[in-house]
Amino acid sequence: MEEKIIIKNLCKEFYDPQRGIVKAVDNVSFSAYKGEVFGLLGPNGAGKTTTLRMMATLMKPNSGSIQIAGYDTENDPRNVRRSIGYMSSSTALYPRLSPREIITYFAELNDYPKNEIPMRVEKIIRYFGIGDYADTYSEKLSTGMKQITSIARTIVHDPPVLILDEPSSGLDVIVAQKIHNYINDLKNEGKTIIFSSHNMGEVEKICDRIGIINNGKLLTVGTINELRTISSKYYLEEIFIYFVNEFEKRVENAY
Amino acid sequence: MKILISLYLKDLLRNKMLGIMVILVPIIFYPLIYWGITQFLMVKSGFEESRKVNLYYRIVDPGFSDLKDSIAAIRSLVPVETAEPETEKNGISLIVTRLNELPRYEVLLDSSNAVHKSFYGGLEEKLTAYYQTELEKLMTDKNYQKEYFRVYNIESVNIEGQNEIITKILSFIIPLMAVISIISSVAAASVELGSGHSEDKTTETTLTIPADRKDVILSKFFTVVIYGMLAGLVNFILLVTMIIVIFKNMIGQVEAGLADFDWGLIINFKNLSISFVSLVLIAFFVSLIFVTAAGFASKRKDGNIMVSPFTAIITYLPLVIVIPAIEPNILIAMTPVLNIAFALKLIISNDLNIAFIAEAVAFSFIWVIVMYRFLFPFLLEEEVLLGYSNTSLIRKIKIKMGKWKKK
Ligand SMILES: Nc1ncnc2c1ncn2[C@@H]1O[C@H](COP(=O)(O)OP(=O)(O)OP(=O)(O)O)[C@@H](O)[C@H]1O
Ligand SMILES: [Mg+2]
Repeated sequence: MEEKIIIKNLCKEFYDPQRGIVKAVDNVSFSAYKGEVFGLLGPNGAGKTTTLRMMATLMKPNSGSIQIAGYDTENDPRNVRRSIGYMSSSTALYPRLSPREIITYFAELNDYPKNEIPMRVEKIIRYFGIGDYADTYSEKLSTGMKQITSIARTIVHDPPVLILDEPSSGLDVIVAQKIHNYINDLKNEGKTIIFSSHNMGEVEKICDRIGIINNGKLLTVGTINELRTISSKYYLEEIFIYFVNEFEKRVENAY
Repeated sequence: MKILISLYLKDLLRNKMLGIMVILVPIIFYPLIYWGITQFLMVKSGFEESRKVNLYYRIVDPGFSDLKDSIAAIRSLVPVETAEPETEKNGISLIVTRLNELPRYEVLLDSSNAVHKSFYGGLEEKLTAYYQTELEKLMTDKNYQKEYFRVYNIESVNIEGQNEIITKILSFIIPLMAVISIISSVAAASVELGSGHSEDKTTETTLTIPADRKDVILSKFFTVVIYGMLAGLVNFILLVTMIIVIFKNMIGQVEAGLADFDWGLIINFKNLSISFVSLVLIAFFVSLIFVTAAGFASKRKDGNIMVSPFTAIITYLPLVIVIPAIEPNILIAMTPVLNIAFALKLIISNDLNIAFIAEAVAFSFIWVIVMYRFLFPFLLEEEVLLGYSNTSLIRKIKIKMGKWKKK
């Protein structure tokens, strides 16, 4: 299988006046393959967003390396950006532009072939069912509509790798379901999708493999069945707690 | 970059609150300011006290002293006998000497002042009549032929008058208004693009397009510059409209005689084109300062706090140009924004001070380099871009300072 994302020994520290140095990401390594959905599961402040931001070349790691679609984020950030669609944890739409305008602009900004843009935008709008509100200013849209527009904006230039930060947080089940279906479709098109979440059910349902992250450390990586076998637990909540406890035991033993 | 600018600009132009503010501010302020100017002008010319004008005169040749009586007969003209009428500026001055046996008049007046002009009509009549009687006397006395004499012998000299005063006043009011309106709109736009985009997290998505980080941020500068210029243009049109509609009407009401003011002195191609270039430069500088300031804030609220002291400083800077006594000097040339505003003032009042303009340009150039080399890199820091500037930036600066110290 073709490795689309290779992350090795990734570290990122922040300085916080109250807490001192915060190790937001601590020696994280994993890979993701073509046509795979990889879920980064962790509680608030675990370091998910920081990891994804480093993958999207928004932040530079303190150490370690990231390769996306064969390009290194450090040496070749432009080609990395060309290969990814990144969706931040907020919908991040320009309030006074309509979904159609935003999608068109991002096709242009991502160097999509100019003459194919109108067709591509129409196709995307139809696929995501944005038609009804395609020409409304995005500040007037509901959270769900915004999120769907945001995903449409992320994939309009047809990148091989998608990085989605909590794509379904704050959405009702129907919109969340829709988004899961889109992710599934994109996977079947052969895209590599990495997304973060603290929603166990969602991760269990749509991810091929799961990485559990807590306090900046990647505790384990595997398919849901592998994780079940190792932990001999069935529900993901229990599996999660198992790995957190296991890790703490290991740390205690080390002292 | 072009696409980004178009995207930013579209979002900005559709911001109605911003647009209303940009248009409303001058609508409220311009009439106020013009009211102020007219009051100022009226006081200066003393029009509002009475419709009387002093006539300062000196009759050098005692033989013509009976002219006094005919002058005194002119209604509303107050004759004041003085040794040096030529030094009096707020009235009409008259010096009477003798030339070829006949009176020679030297009249000093402000030809652009309609009140002076209208009284001059009456004065001229009397002077000519007096000349005629003297001529008749001379002819009967000496039996001269009429053809040998010039019938008319008044030499009038124009003194610096209303036109010059208005040119002076407008030459600072126009740049001042344009600069202030540009500053206010640029400040608002900067907060929107600098802090608003961090707040909405839209910067985060534009930074993942296959372009340079630098280009993404520079696009913001240019968008703000363009917005500032558009605002400046709208303001300029409003300004001219106000001048034509309100100012002229006001003047008409007080009969201050500005109706025949030659607007071509100020609104001409040279001035307009130079103003345009200066305003672009000012918009550029102010954007540079404001986008940088707002860039360090991750919320609109904080952005406003960051920008407002700069707005205050930069708005009051051009006020310096209102003070007529201030001469162009090196300190003004060194101050960004002020130097361009001042140069603009000089150019509009036809005072081409090449040395000062060259200094202003040179220092502006230095400022751009300083900003680009030392401030801009901070804006590209990820903490600033992603909105954590308050924690890490100070530390970064400390680290950098530490490195310099070691060196
Ligand atoms: N730029 C920054 N400066 C300082 N601290 C930061 C910065 N970014 C993140 N952190 C800290 O790093 C840690 C990890 O944050 P991160 O945003 O990656 O977590 P997360 O897993 O995405 O959490 P959430 O579920 O809340 O989104 C947190 O403690 C956070 O406060
Ligand atoms: Mg997060």
